[in-house]
Amino acid sequence: MRILVVGGGCGGTILANNLARRLASEIRSRKVRLTMLSASDKHMYQPGLLYVAFGQMMPDELYRDQESLLEPSIEFHVDPVEAFHLDQNKVTTKSGKTHEYDVLVIATGSRIVPEEVPGLVEGSETFYSEAAAVKMFKRLREFEGGNVAIVVGVPHKCPIAPVEVTFSLHDYFKIRGIRDKVHIKYHYPIGRIHTIENVAKWAKPEFDRIGVEYETLFNVKEVDVENQVVKSEEGTETAYDLLISIPPHRGMPVIERDQMGDGGWIPTDRYKLTMEGHDNVYVLGDTTNLPVSKTGSAAHFEAEVVAENIASIIKIGTPVRDYDGKVYCFIEAGHDRATYAMFNYENPPDLKAPNKSMHWFKMSYNKMYWTSVRGLL
Amino acid sequence: MTAQTESPQTGATVDRDELALELEQLSELATLVLSARDALSDDIVSRVASALSEGITLLDRLTRNEGLMRLLQVLDKPETQHLLHGLSKALAQMSREIAISPPAKGGLGGVVKLAMEPGTQEGLRSLSLLGKYWSDSMRELHRKGGN
Repeated sequence: MRILVVGGGCGGTILANNLARRLASEIRSRKVRLTMLSASDKHMYQPGLLYVAFGQMMPDELYRDQESLLEPSIEFHVDPVEAFHLDQNKVTTKSGKTHEYDVLVIATGSRIVPEEVPGLVEGSETFYSEAAAVKMFKRLREFEGGNVAIVVGVPHKCPIAPVEVTFSLHDYFKIRGIRDKVHIKYHYPIGRIHTIENVAKWAKPEFDRIGVEYETLFNVKEVDVENQVVKSEEGTETAYDLLISIPPHRGMPVIERDQMGDGGWIPTDRYKLTMEGHDNVYVLGDTTNLPVSKTGSAAHFEAEVVAENIASIIKIGTPVRDYDGKVYCFIEAGHDRATYAMFNYENPPDLKAPNKSMHWFKMSYNKMYWTSVRGLL
Repeated sequence: MTAQTESPQTGATVDRDELALELEQLSELATLVLSARDALSDDIVSRVASALSEGITLLDRLTRNEGLMRLLQVLDKPETQHLLHGLSKALAQMSREIAISPPAKGGLGGVVKLAMEPGTQEGLRSLSLLGKYWSDSMRELHRKGGN
């Protein structure tokens, strides 16, 4: 049995390690072969980028060598997939190699596409890459006051990020003693301030309390960099001195190129996590088109289900679990308070009041992540 | 002589005293927790979490390392412990003797003289037997596919 995992991010790594543990004896006796193909030899803790943007973490804290996170029984190659041949159960890679499989797991993740909004690259700061997060921090350090606008592209990874960055901006300027010189305005594309209704209900009075203005139904159309104005599809506009953007995202180009899903999101069975029309192909994390958040947490819980099912199919011939849509998100409500949202397909989140203990739980998780991707937590 | 009876009022006083004591203890505990919370910082929490994370990973690797587990089983045997103890003593003795002996002069005569010593012959015999059994063990290892 040849299991091929494409993608070495959070979901792919947790899945591969979980499978390597469950199938240790099968791998040892060479009944199972587990291979991972990744685009990079480094693994990044992506939620840490928000902390880099506020000077709370250094970029080098976000990285580990991918191989050091993997079980030794996993064959690991830095060789991204260039084409999927699903009808022939094989993929071809950048180096020209072909990998055949019996079971394929696609966990290729997503990418930012700020260039799809005119002026967004030149006119805004963001924190969705290491370079961008460092640049944003330097810009914040230089900022002495004025209008700060936060705009949100769709779809985007980490749904909590827009409110987290807003709370962090408030605390950052407060700590610097210039909050009274800064006007913060939050813009959101739908008719309430967050896509998750209970998060919107919780965040609105918090925004009122800390003096953050908000405008809903604001889909970013373009940024007039010269005049420092951001315009919406709905016809409104906001003048800014500092524009912070959550850029829109897409799936990986190879998914779109091979016509496996619109926007790079693969149509996926919401319970089995198999690709529609392909029972031996599983999809994880951002790559799915599921109505759950594009977060490491969703990828984590999905990976556990897929690993258990692949292992049980090998051991007893049938899957044993369904994915219930579980997601657990920490929500940093500033520099020293946090809460969390846990939800699934059936149950919406029930947010508690933020506190310091939850903030430290999140700070701890920032370090415990490496234990998590190794398949231990 | 008078009979002592407990009035309901006395019972209530005792209950209040117990409640006050419990509240005092809870307050003490809360003060301790608050004090620990005030003493901590993001940096400390991160460092402790990092150490814990690495510790768990190390423990996991150690406990799932079959080679290490086999080695620990071997080390549990008194015979192995005695051998290691003996080896340690021999190494210490060797180190001391080398330190006080003059440097070797070299030449075939020296080799012949050394070879005639019973200790050298015992040593060569031990090394020969070690080689023999070690080779058997390595053949067995590769026969099983190196695992």
